[in-house]
Amino acid sequence: MKKLQSSIPIIRGCFSIFKIKTAEGFQYRMAGLAGASTSIFWGLIEITVYTIFFKYANNREAGLQAGMTLRQIVSYVWLSQLFFLMQPMNIDKDILRKITSGDVAVELCRPLDLYFHWFAKTAASRLTPMFWRGSIILIFAMIMPLSYRLLPPESLTGFFFMILSIFSAFLLCTAYAMFICTVRLNVALGEGPAYILMLIGGILSGAYLPLQLWPDVMQKFLLYQPFAGYLDIPLRLYIGTMSTDSGLFAISLQLCWTVVFIAAGKVLMSFRLKNLIIQGG
Amino acid sequence: MQIELKEICKNYKVSQRPEGRFGMLKGAFVRNTKTIKALDNITFNIRQGELVGYIGPNGAGKSTTVKIMSGILTPDSGSCTIMNRIPYKERKSHVSEIGVVFGQRSQLWWDVPVNDSFDLLKDIYDIPTIRYKKRFDELIEALSISDLLKTPVRQLSLGQRMRCEIASALLHSPKILFLDEPTIGLDAVSKLALRDFLKNENHKNGVTMILTTHDMDDIESLCSRVMVIGHGNLLYDGNLDMLKQQYAPLCNIKASLDKKTEKFHIEGTEDIKVVGNTWNVLYDPSKIPTHSIVEILTKKLPLKDIVIEQQDIDEIIAQMYKEMSL
Repeated sequence: MKKLQSSIPIIRGCFSIFKIKTAEGFQYRMAGLAGASTSIFWGLIEITVYTIFFKYANNREAGLQAGMTLRQIVSYVWLSQLFFLMQPMNIDKDILRKITSGDVAVELCRPLDLYFHWFAKTAASRLTPMFWRGSIILIFAMIMPLSYRLLPPESLTGFFFMILSIFSAFLLCTAYAMFICTVRLNVALGEGPAYILMLIGGILSGAYLPLQLWPDVMQKFLLYQPFAGYLDIPLRLYIGTMSTDSGLFAISLQLCWTVVFIAAGKVLMSFRLKNLIIQGG
Repeated sequence: MQIELKEICKNYKVSQRPEGRFGMLKGAFVRNTKTIKALDNITFNIRQGELVGYIGPNGAGKSTTVKIMSGILTPDSGSCTIMNRIPYKERKSHVSEIGVVFGQRSQLWWDVPVNDSFDLLKDIYDIPTIRYKKRFDELIEALSISDLLKTPVRQLSLGQRMRCEIASALLHSPKILFLDEPTIGLDAVSKLALRDFLKNENHKNGVTMILTTHDMDDIESLCSRVMVIGHGNLLYDGNLDMLKQQYAPLCNIKASLDKKTEKFHIEGTEDIKVVGNTWNVLYDPSKIPTHSIVEILTKKLPLKDIVIEQQDIDEIIAQMYKEMSL
C-alpha cells in the first residue's frame, strides 16, 4: 500500500510531462499537413499497385489464398498509413538532444525515475503526429472515390477489439521506442544500431506489406513476433481477417511484448546510468 | 556538517588516436585509452547556509565535483555524504532537496510557455499547492518575471531565460543550490540583479550555495569562502581576503604628474615604475600605511591626480594558476 501511495506522485509527474509534451506537439499544424500529403500520396500509389496486381496479374488467386480481398487491402493501406505514425521511426528529438549534448545530467537532477520520465515523453511524441497528420489522412481516406475508399469496420465487436488493440499497440510502440532510446544512451554506438532496430520493427510490422500477404511458412512466426502488434493485429481485427476470439489472445500477446520491452529497457538503462559518461563541461 | 566529501577520486578514460602517418587508419582497429584523473583525493566540508565559490581553470574538475554532489556521477573511491544521504545511491530522494542550475544547459521546456514548465515542476517535485503558490509568487516578484510567464522559452533573451531557470531551480525550496556558471553571457544589469537575488535567498532562507564560475566578480561579491581546484586537487580553501593576501599582497598607487620627474626611492615601498608622466608605486599595506606614502608623494612631487588600486582579482587568480603551474 505504501508503495502504491508513493507511486502516485510519480504517475502524476509522468502524466504532467505527457500533457506538456502533447501540447507542444499540437502546435505544429503545417508539419502535419505536409506529412499528411506524403502519406496520402504514398497510400494512393500502394492502392494502385495492389489494384493492378489483383485485376490484371495471373496470380489473382494468390490474394484470395492469403485471405485478403482488394477492398480489405485498401482499408488496410489507409489505416496503416494512419497508425504507421505511432511507430518509432526516430528517437524523440528532445531526448536525442539530451543524450548527445550531455543534458541527461539535468534530467537526472529531478526526483523522477528517468525511464518513466522519458517513457511519458516518448508516448506523447508517438501520439502527437496523429492529431493533425492522422486526422487529415483519415478524413481524406473516407471521402475517396469508392474503389479507393476506407471501408467501415467489418463488425462492431471487431471495431471495439481494434480500439483495445490500438491502445496496446500504442504502449508497445512506446516501449520499443524506449528500448531503442536506452540503446542510444551509449553515445559511442552512434546512430547505426538504433536505426537498424527501428527498421526491423517497421518491416515486420506489416506497414510496407500486410503480414498476411507474406509467405505461408512465415505466417505463424509473423503473428507471434512482437511487431505484429504495431498495427497488423489491430488492422486484422478491423477488416475482419481475425476472429474476436483470437483477437483477445493477440491483444494479450501485444501486452506481453510490451512488458518484455519495458523490462529490457529498464535493465539496460540502469546499467547505462551506472557507467554514464556525461558529455562536455 | 551538511556536505561532507572525503577522499573522493574519479578517473575518466579518454580514447586517443594513435600517432603517426597511419594513425587514423590504425585508430579504427586499435585504440589507446588514457586515464585522466579528474578528481584526486578531494576532501572538504560545507556548513549549512554557507556561500562557497568553487573556482579553477577549465578542466580542473569543478563540474565533476558538482555532478558527484548532485548524484549524477558515482565516484571511483571515497565517500560523499550530503544531508546524511549518499547522493548517487539515493538519487531520487537526494535531488528532491537540492536545486541545480547549469548556466549552459536549459532545464525549461524549449517550446512551451515558462508557466507550463513551472506547473510541470510542481508535479514532478510533488509540491503541495498552497506551498507552491506562495513560493511561486515570492520568486516571481523577486526575479521580476511575471511578464515572461506566458512566453515560450525559445523567445526569451538569455538574461530572461536565466532568471526563469533560477526560479525553476528554487520552486521546490531546496536546501542546497548548485550553480554552474550562472552568470555566463549575462549583461551587467542582469548579473547584478542575479547576484542580489542569490545573496538575498541565501540570507533569508539559509540556502547553502555552491557556485562554480570564471567570473571573479561573482565570487568577490557573493562568496565568503573560496575553494580552488586544479588538476583534480584542492589547492586552496579559505576566505577570499586571505587568498588575495597570499597571492597579491601588493597595492599600487598611480600618481599622474604635471611634468616628468626623476625616480627616487621611498622608504618601505617595494618597487616604483615610471612611465611617462605617471608613477606606479608598489607597496605592501601591511608594512607601510597608504596615507604615509601619499603624504610623501604630495610633498615631493608635482601631483595632478592620484589613484589607489588593489590588484585586479582576475590577475591574482591568473597569477595563482601560473604559480601552481595549472
